[in-house]
Amino acid sequence: MGTHVTVTDPGLDEVVAPSSLSTRAARNLASTTKSVPQMQGITPRWLLRALPWVEAGGGAYRVNRRLTYAVGDGRVSFTSTGTAVKVVPQELRELPVLREFADDGVLAALAERFQQREFAAGEVVVQAGRAADEVVLIAHGKVSATGVGQYGEETSLGVLADGDHFGDEVLTGTVDEWPFTVRAVTPVIVLVLPWREVRALNGQADALRAHIEAFVARSGKPSNRAGEASIELSSGHEGEVELPGTFVDYELSPREYELSVAQTVLRVHTRVADLYNKPMDQLQQQLRLTVEALRERQEHELLNNPDFGLLHNADLKQRLHTRTGPVTPDDMDNLISRRRKTAFFLAHPRTIAAFGRQLNQRGLYPTPVDYQGTKVNTWRGVPILPSNKIPISSHGTSSILAMRVGEQENGVIGLHQTGLPDEYEPGLSVRFTGIDEKAVMSYLVSTYYSAAVLVPDALGVLEHVEIDR
Amino acid sequence: MTVTDNPSSDVDATRAQSSLATAAARNLATTTKSVPQMQGISSRWLLKVLPWVQAAGGAYRVNRRLSYAVGDGRVTFTNTGSEIRVIPQELCELPLLRGFDDDAVLAALSLKFVQREYAPGDLIVESGQRADAVFLIAHGKVNKIGVGEFGDTTALGVLADGDHFGGDVLAGPQGEWGFTVKAVTPVTVLTLDWHSFEEMNGAAGGLREHIQHARARGENAKRDESGEAAIEMSSGHEGEVELPATFVDYELSPREYELSVAQTVLRVHSRVADLYNQPMDQVEQQLRLTIEALRERQEHELINNREFGLLHNADLSQRIHTRSGPPTPDDMDELLSTVWKEPSYFLAHPRAIAAFGRECSRVGIYPASTDLGGHQVPSWRGVPILPCNKIGVSATRTSSILLMRAGEQNQGVVGLHQTGLPDEYQPGLSVRFMGIDEKAVISYLVSAYYSAAVLVPDALGVLENVEIGREG
Repeated sequence: MGTHVTVTDPGLDEVVAPSSLSTRAARNLASTTKSVPQMQGITPRWLLRALPWVEAGGGAYRVNRRLTYAVGDGRVSFTSTGTAVKVVPQELRELPVLREFADDGVLAALAERFQQREFAAGEVVVQAGRAADEVVLIAHGKVSATGVGQYGEETSLGVLADGDHFGDEVLTGTVDEWPFTVRAVTPVIVLVLPWREVRALNGQADALRAHIEAFVARSGKPSNRAGEASIELSSGHEGEVELPGTFVDYELSPREYELSVAQTVLRVHTRVADLYNKPMDQLQQQLRLTVEALRERQEHELLNNPDFGLLHNADLKQRLHTRTGPVTPDDMDNLISRRRKTAFFLAHPRTIAAFGRQLNQRGLYPTPVDYQGTKVNTWRGVPILPSNKIPISSHGTSSILAMRVGEQENGVIGLHQTGLPDEYEPGLSVRFTGIDEKAVMSYLVSTYYSAAVLVPDALGVLEHVEIDR
Repeated sequence: MTVTDNPSSDVDATRAQSSLATAAARNLATTTKSVPQMQGISSRWLLKVLPWVQAAGGAYRVNRRLSYAVGDGRVTFTNTGSEIRVIPQELCELPLLRGFDDDAVLAALSLKFVQREYAPGDLIVESGQRADAVFLIAHGKVNKIGVGEFGDTTALGVLADGDHFGGDVLAGPQGEWGFTVKAVTPVTVLTLDWHSFEEMNGAAGGLREHIQHARARGENAKRDESGEAAIEMSSGHEGEVELPATFVDYELSPREYELSVAQTVLRVHSRVADLYNQPMDQVEQQLRLTIEALRERQEHELINNREFGLLHNADLSQRIHTRSGPPTPDDMDELLSTVWKEPSYFLAHPRAIAAFGRECSRVGIYPASTDLGGHQVPSWRGVPILPCNKIGVSATRTSSILLMRAGEQNQGVVGLHQTGLPDEYQPGLSVRFMGIDEKAVISYLVSAYYSAAVLVPDALGVLENVEIGREG
C-alpha cells in the first residue's frame, strides 16, 4: 500500500460515545437481504446429467437380447468364524459346473471338504505346469495370474480377488496342468477343494455325476465370443458350397426393468403457506429442497440399488481389480479397453484425488476438458466425473465406473416416464393430497426412475481401489 | 567506446556555444508528465472474480437447512517457556464437552493434561492398543494411519496444531485405537488419560451428565451425510407402504453478514484544487490513488477480516494440511476433493504459486495455463490459480492456498455490496463532499462497503501450512 495514503482501521474508535444512530438500531427499520435456504447436500449429480433418459411408457422397460448360453460365472460368498473361513454351500452354484444343481446335501458335503490355506504377499498359490488338481476359491485378498508369453517371458493375465475362483474345470474330471501361475498380491486366504476329495464324494452322489456329465454335453453349443448363440455364416468359399441357414435367436425371458420410486409426503402448515410469503414463497422453497433431496436419493439409488443400481448391475466379467491397490493409469487403461466409446468415468472425489496422486508420481498431466461448462479431469480424453454416492468402505476402498451411454450405442440408459399427472419436473410429480384437521397441507412428492444396461460390456467397474495409500 | 563527457569538462568550456542548449530550451517546453504511479496496486483478482451480490438493507442473511453441528473445532494453547497449557474454555471444542459452561471444572480438567514430546517418526498411539486417553496436538504435524483392506497401511490424513483425537474417551474407554498416529515433525501433545479424568469426574457431577447427554444427542439426531437434518423419504418400495411425512427444517438463527466499511477522509487544499489542474486534475488524481488504496484494503479485508474474511470463515472440516510441507500436486488434488462440486478458482500468494511450480517441475509435470478474461494464468486440473498478495505469509514462511466455488446460484462464495449509494463514484463506493474548513482545505469522505459470504461450508477449502521456502 502507498505510504501517503492511510486508511483507518475499523474498530479503533470503539470507546467513543455514539453521537448518532447506530447501525444496529438502524437495522430495525431496514429489511435484510436474505438468501434462499442453502443446502449442503446438493451435489452436481453428474450421473443424472450425463445419462441419456429414455421414456419407459407403461412403467417397465424390457431389454431384449440375443440368446446367450450363460456361463454362470458368479462370485462365491463366505462365512467366517474367528479365523476359520467356510464357503456358503448354496453359493457353490456360482461355479459354472454346479450351476442349477439342486441337491443341497451334496453341496454341503462339497463345502465341508474345502481346505483353508493362507499365503503371504508374493507367495505362489499355484504354479504353471504343475498338475491342476484342485478347485480354488479366493476368500479374501488379491492374486494375480501370469501366463507364459510367446517367447517364454511372463505375461499378466489379470487380477482376481474376494469371491473369485479358478480351477473349477477340475470338477468335470479333466485333470490337466495349470496354464498359469497365480501369485498372492496381498495376504490371501483361499479355500481349495482337491480332486481326490471330489472323487471320494463323486462315488456317493450319482446326481452330481449326472449333472456334471449333462454340463459337459451342453457346453458344446456353437456360440460367439460374447457367449451369444452363433449366427451361422459362411465366407471365403468358392464354387457351389451349401450355404448355412440361420436365424437370430432371442432370450426367451428377457429382463424387465420396472421403474422404481422415491417418495415422500411434504407437510406445510397452512398458516406458514398463507402468510409468510414475502419475499420468498415458503411452499416453493420447501418443495425445492425436498425435490433436491429426492434427486440426490435418485442418484444414490441409480448407483446402489441392489436390483438395478449400476454398481450391482455390472456384469461380473466387466468387474476388474486394481493390479496393486491404488488406481494407476494402467488400471484405467485396462478399464477403457473393455468397451468401445467409453463416455465417462464416475468416481468418488477422493478416488479422483488418489488417481491424481498416481499421475503426479509418474509425472503425467492429462489435459482437463470442459464438460458441460465445468473443467473436469480426464484420462485418455474420457472425462472423470465426481460423485459422492459411490461408497467408500471402512477400509478406504472404493470403485470406479466406466460406461458407454445411449440407446443407439447399446449403452447404459436412464429410464423415466414423463407426462405424469401433476408433473413438476420430468419424471417427478407433486400431488396435493389434502389438508388435515390440524390445518397441515400435505403434498405427495414422487419420482420414478431406473437404469438399464443394454449389453453387458456397456458398463465396467474397477473394484477395490485403495484411496488412502 | 567513448562517451561524451559532461558539459563542465575542459574541452567544452573552451569551445564557444553555437546554438541553444537543451537546459535553456527546457524553459520554454512543457515536460510530458506521467500520472502519479503507485506500487501498491495489485491485480486484485479476488475482487474481479467474486460475483457481487446486492445486499440491500446493509445486511445479508444466509439461510441454511438446519444442521446438527458436530462441534469439532480447534483447541488453542498458551505457553510459558516450554510449558504448554490448554486454555480451559477451549476444551469446549471437544465434541463431548460442547456447550459445557462450568469454567471451574474445565480449569481443573485442563490442569490434568500432561505434556509429551515426540521426535519425527515416533508412534504416538498404535492401532490395536487400548484407547484410554484424549490427545490434543499443541504443536507439530502427525500422520493418521489406518489398516487397509488387505492388511497394508493407508494414510487417513494429517493432523496439526490445535487438532485433537480420542475425544470419545471422555465417555469411557472405547476399546482399541482404530488407527496409528505417527509424528511427522517434532510434536508436542497434551494428553489426558482416562484414569485422571475419572478421578475428577466424581468431583464434578455436572460434567458426567453433560457427557452422557451429549453422547445420547449425537446418536439420536437423524441427519444426512453433510450433517443436515434429514429429509425423510422412502425409495424402492413396492405396494402400499406407509410413506414418511417430512418437512425441511431451517436454521433458526441464521448468520447475518453486515456490510463492512473501509473509509478515509481525503483532504485537498483548495488552492491546489483550483490552480494546479493542467494537464491533470489534482483532485481526480488524489481520488484515484485513494480509491486504489481503499480497494486494496477491501481485498485484504475480504481475505483476512476475522468476521467474514475467507481465511477465517472456512469451515474447519474444509481445512487440510500439506502432507510434507511444500505445496505438492498431491496436496492440490486433495484440496480439489474438498471443493469437488464445480470448483472455480484457487487463490494463492505469488510465492506459494512459485513454490507449487517448483514442486510440479520436480515431478516433471507442466500444467497447462488457462485463459481467464484475456489473461493467461497458471492452472491445476483446469482450475485457474490466481495470485493474491493479501494472503498472509507467516514469519516461518508458511502461507495458505484457498479454493472456492463462486456464485450465488451454485451455493458458492459471494461478495456482498450495495449499489445505488448516495454520491456513488464506483459500484459500492461513494465519494461525498464534506466541506471546506477554515484553513481552506476541502475534505471528501471516501467509503467502500463490502463483505463476503460463504453460502454452504463446502464452497471454500483451505490448504494450510504451505511451506514456500523449503530448501532442497
